[in-house]
Amino acid sequence: MSWQIHRVDDRLIHGQVVIAWGARLRPARIWVVDDASAANPWERELLASAAAGAEVRVVTVAEAAAAWAAEATAPGGAFLIVPDLATARALIEAGAPVPSFTLGGLHYAPGKTKVNEYVYLDADDRADARALLARGVALEVQDVPASRPQSLASLDPGSAP
Amino acid sequence: MSRVPALLVMHADLGAALLHAAGQVYGPCEDLPVLSNEGLSRAALEHAIAGKVAGWSAGGLVLTDFWGGSCHLCGLAAARACGGATAAGEIVVVTGLNLPMLLDYLHNRDRCAVVELAERLQLKGQESVRLQRCQPA
Repeated sequence: MSWQIHRVDDRLIHGQVVIAWGARLRPARIWVVDDASAANPWERELLASAAAGAEVRVVTVAEAAAAWAAEATAPGGAFLIVPDLATARALIEAGAPVPSFTLGGLHYAPGKTKVNEYVYLDADDRADARALLARGVALEVQDVPASRPQSLASLDPGSAP
Repeated sequence: MSRVPALLVMHADLGAALLHAAGQVYGPCEDLPVLSNEGLSRAALEHAIAGKVAGWSAGGLVLTDFWGGSCHLCGLAAARACGGATAAGEIVVVTGLNLPMLLDYLHNRDRCAVVELAERLQLKGQESVRLQRCQPA
């Protein structure tokens, strides 16, 4: 079974992940792909404590790319979470054949413009989105299972290749 | 004994609503700021919490809704960034806050130490969840 969702979320593990998606899909493992978090033992421990019932693996982009295929055939379901589109792109370019990413939360920061209530992008984000779409990676916008997924390109033409 | 400061950090409008409800029972709730996570990235929420708790020289309580949520995790990260535990006190993150716990905090914040108060709130929260099955009359 393995991969159930590949999510882009600057909050990494939080309520929508463990309560909304977690209760719906019941993953056995949650992979957090973030070089900064992977290099920080306290952060790894924090994230591991946040998801009861799932094993949390906090790994670098290189480690995730190397492990992606084996996880794809592992028993039980798995989530993969990256903090931003740059990391999603890096993961693809490192060789992980992720078919699609779900943009679940990219919140406002200076320089970013609104796509919807929970997705804000700047020029670098849009360049990463275009690169991902050009490589055939689908990008959908959806925060929780009960909301309707929408393609990023339809919501934000500036992200279309 | 000096007052144990606290910060309510919750999803959407829950913190403000809880504080409003507590005011109906307890009276005016002074010195209890509220933060919502709505629309904030993890970094922004951590920064906002750190800005509130940085002045707690003798520690205090970050009161949050559920374990594993952004309010909980950012509360921990912000507390750690601000020193977490100092010689004078400790910042404790309390999850699962409900109205009985908030009222207990208000009643006891001027007479308990930080950790003592945190443990008291934990017990109060556990005791406040009860089942009472009602038979037809």
